[in-house]
Amino acid sequence: MREVDMLTGNVAAAWAARIADVDYIPAYPITPQTEIIETLASWISQGLMKAKLVQLESEHSMLTAAGTASLSGARVFTATSSQGLLYGFEMLYNIAGWRAPLVLVNVSRAVAAPITLEPDHNDVLAARDSGFIQLHAEKCQEVLDLILIAYRVAEDHRVMLPVIVNMDGFYLSFTREPVYIPSKTDVEEFLPPYNPPHPFRAGRPVVKGAAVLGGHIYAYFKHNIHESLLRAGDVFKEAAAGFREVTGRFHSPVEGFLLDDAEYVLVVTNSFTSIARKAVVRLREKGVPAGLVKLVMLRPFPSSDIMEKLRGRKAVAVFDQNISPGLGGVIYNEVAAALYHVKNRPETLLSAIGGVGGKYTTVEEFEHVFHMLMHPEKTQPGKPVFLFRADELAHVQTALRLAGYTGEET
Amino acid sequence: MLRIRFHGRGGQGVKTSSRILGRAAFSAGFFAQDFPIYGAERRGAPVTAFTRISHSPIMERGYIFNPHIVVVMDETLLADAQARPLEDLPRGGVALINSARGPIFSEDQAGHVFMRINFTDPALRIIGKPIVSVSAAAAAAKLCGLRKQHVEEAVREELSELGVRDELLEKNLMLMSETYDNTPRYSIKVDEERVGAVELVDPASGRVVYSDVFAAGNAVHRATGNWRVFRPVVDYGKCTGCKVCFIYCPDSAISLDAENKPVIDYEHCKGCLICVVECPIRAISSVREVEIFA
Amino acid sequence: MTRYKTLRDFPVEEYLSPGSTMCAGCGAMLVLRAFHKVLGPNVVFVNAAGCLTLLQVYPYTPNKSSWMYTAFASAPAGAQGIRDALDILMEKGRVNSFEDLKVVVVTGDGAAYDIGLQSTSGAIERGLDFYYLVYDNEAYGNTGFQKSGATPYGSATATTPPTERNPTGYTGVKKDLFEIWRSHKPPYIATVAPSHMVDMLRKIETASQFKGPKLFIAFSSCPTGWGFDPSLSVRISRLAVECGIWPLKESVYGKVRHTYIPTVLKPVEEYLRHQNRFRHLFTPRKQETAIASIQEQVNNYWLEAAKNEGFRITVAKPVTIAPP
Repeated sequence: MREVDMLTGNVAAAWAARIADVDYIPAYPITPQTEIIETLASWISQGLMKAKLVQLESEHSMLTAAGTASLSGARVFTATSSQGLLYGFEMLYNIAGWRAPLVLVNVSRAVAAPITLEPDHNDVLAARDSGFIQLHAEKCQEVLDLILIAYRVAEDHRVMLPVIVNMDGFYLSFTREPVYIPSKTDVEEFLPPYNPPHPFRAGRPVVKGAAVLGGHIYAYFKHNIHESLLRAGDVFKEAAAGFREVTGRFHSPVEGFLLDDAEYVLVVTNSFTSIARKAVVRLREKGVPAGLVKLVMLRPFPSSDIMEKLRGRKAVAVFDQNISPGLGGVIYNEVAAALYHVKNRPETLLSAIGGVGGKYTTVEEFEHVFHMLMHPEKTQPGKPVFLFRADELAHVQTALRLAGYTGEET
Repeated sequence: MLRIRFHGRGGQGVKTSSRILGRAAFSAGFFAQDFPIYGAERRGAPVTAFTRISHSPIMERGYIFNPHIVVVMDETLLADAQARPLEDLPRGGVALINSARGPIFSEDQAGHVFMRINFTDPALRIIGKPIVSVSAAAAAAKLCGLRKQHVEEAVREELSELGVRDELLEKNLMLMSETYDNTPRYSIKVDEERVGAVELVDPASGRVVYSDVFAAGNAVHRATGNWRVFRPVVDYGKCTGCKVCFIYCPDSAISLDAENKPVIDYEHCKGCLICVVECPIRAISSVREVEIFA
Repeated sequence: MTRYKTLRDFPVEEYLSPGSTMCAGCGAMLVLRAFHKVLGPNVVFVNAAGCLTLLQVYPYTPNKSSWMYTAFASAPAGAQGIRDALDILMEKGRVNSFEDLKVVVVTGDGAAYDIGLQSTSGAIERGLDFYYLVYDNEAYGNTGFQKSGATPYGSATATTPPTERNPTGYTGVKKDLFEIWRSHKPPYIATVAPSHMVDMLRKIETASQFKGPKLFIAFSSCPTGWGFDPSLSVRISRLAVECGIWPLKESVYGKVRHTYIPTVLKPVEEYLRHQNRFRHLFTPRKQETAIASIQEQVNNYWLEAAKNEGFRITVAKPVTIAPP
């Protein structure tokens, strides 16, 4: 094993599971996640990793087995994408409610119909209310680092909640770049063994998942999940500090880029952040005080960090690589809510929706969003800007024609 | 507005009662609302249903916390720690109780008016089953001042919807009529709505609270003996200690003594009477419950 | 060999306390209680949505063992997770073998025959070492008795009500879950009925010798859904067996053997007429054709079984109907 190697996001995720010494990996194939479980299966069968990998018959079963194994005291890793996440969806709420602190990697892929392979974040954001902690990665290195940090946060007895670590399909999952792999001893120093308080054992009977009737008891437990998830924000910061001591790399829930004197700020997540960075740099070269805020943590929603980073800015745009039809961008609305109570909040808060279905977003498009921030009088307050280029529309029209679409019914 | 809360057991027709009353009020031109609460409990376990009747649109929903009438369809529920039929019944409120004993009218220290009407025996006599939904609705309707013709209409409609036809429907109408006539007229006077203050608290505990149950076997603290209508009684003179009743008790409510003879746990026996039927020498008989279970 | 020769051998130790919220006379409880007694205390039940889910209503449990409620569709996958976790943790030396548990899936027929069939198939095919106990009351009892894949021909349910236009009630056939399971060739499958308790105890005992899937379909008389007096729960079960409606059998690595042969089958009418769910077959007019077809199915089943296994059986005559 090399200390640094060219790894895809998928293989980086597999490495994280390996050095975290996970015990159990329930699996089910789906593009673009499959390489993760294939890599792990190969390591396990070669004896390079001591864990059990079982291929289930669906993501619903996979997540069920993941949850119950975690409750039985095994450190569990699993991965899925898109339709798979949705197929297992009810189990997300269960796993969180069971307080099973496993780590699930979601390799983002837009959701059917129409069916596609390329990423947007409608899949992972659908899970935002499930009680999972959500960490979103921009780079392959972050995939590895965030998974390690995720275990420490999840298994902390002040938290005991599962984590989704998200990476974009293709842009990270199949993209190789240099990734530092911490040594096993470094990880052991950072990540204590998993030790849940009430695993299933002979002689220690326990009932898990009992029905709760009477709204007040349900509400109490649900509030406890909320409270623990909020606490996970602070525990993450502790864990990130510990991680820096061991690896020298630092991660925070909300990251700023060229933010100090920025007047125009773009809020982004995931792999397209890299392209947006370039737009910021190009604008800076032209003397525009542009900056960028990357959200790494989506749950707990880092409201106070966002407030702190965006207060006093002239204009802010939120780039959503998702769409809630009939509303607009999901993250825009959450950022807007966070800013409502900020006294000197930005005068302009623009919603930009792009990259839906993996549609490429060019650096020029990001620059265009900044230009809109500089000329808010040309935008309609509250109305999301759908980033869709003229050449793309022309392309679609050709496709419509080829498909025999005439614009008429029947 | 009149608020009526029905307390009974699953299978007694509690929901049907509340619906008959609701429809009778609706037929009589009032604003009306009825609904049942379902819990985890099954046939035999306490069930609650509600009817609201008003001259004006009803701006309430859900559980009735301040009833004018509680209908206790099964007398044993009076002592039931979960059902608590008298809870929140205000001074002057009526507890209409299905009872074969005691005076028609009495009053307790809290100023509750107890009215005892026998629903079960006429039901057994006329329809042959201890189903008291029609009787309970009829008695409650009379207390609410509804006319018999509206109750009759409601019984027809509600029971037809449940597939009750012909002869059985006619018998139910007879039962309705008899109970309606046997129920005295009474004018209910209760203190009007209380306005309570709300004390909100922060439920945060500062730590992870698991919804696990660690107290193995603690269901024993939940009495189910009050589900019984009939009680199995062992004739120890006949009993041979064959264990059959023990084997066929679904609720682990029969244990064995040193001679393998059954000891019935009446605090939990639900009165299914499998033991009575299965005893190979008929050493267990069933006796109608008369005592209020405490 | 067996610890269970007569009813007197029924284990005395209780692992389920009284005070549950199941209906009076629940057949499923008779089965669960017997299973628990044979398997002993070191068990974790893995449950899918159904009547028995409400054995565990916070903060109460009747269990002196462990219980995991999963979801409707995936109890066998939940069992997989627990079994695998215990195995890998024992292998890694983090769990002692005396802390190990038997993993027992317990679901109703809705989960077993319908929504969880895929999950069960996967668990059997992977050779998961677990027990599966289906308490089969032939409909979705917990939600008010709607039709399931286990509902037999002629049954009224809340979603197959007999009407003028469809006087029969449910017109499909009950899935043969035993055969669906058997096609996977697991070590052990059995059908059981609470009326035949010694047969049940022995089968659980036999199953315990095998590693891998050990699967049970239990006749679970349901006073509430089927419409009969709770006191008749065991009687109905006995009638089901004696009429040949509920064959008692086992399959060891795919080889089937009937463990109880009702040498002279009672007519199915005797079973059907005790239950409100079949009442429409008898009143207002008797549906001879429907009843005859039920009898014929039962007869054909037993004649085939008698041929395969070489036993003698006298079937009941189907009601003969004159053509119109």
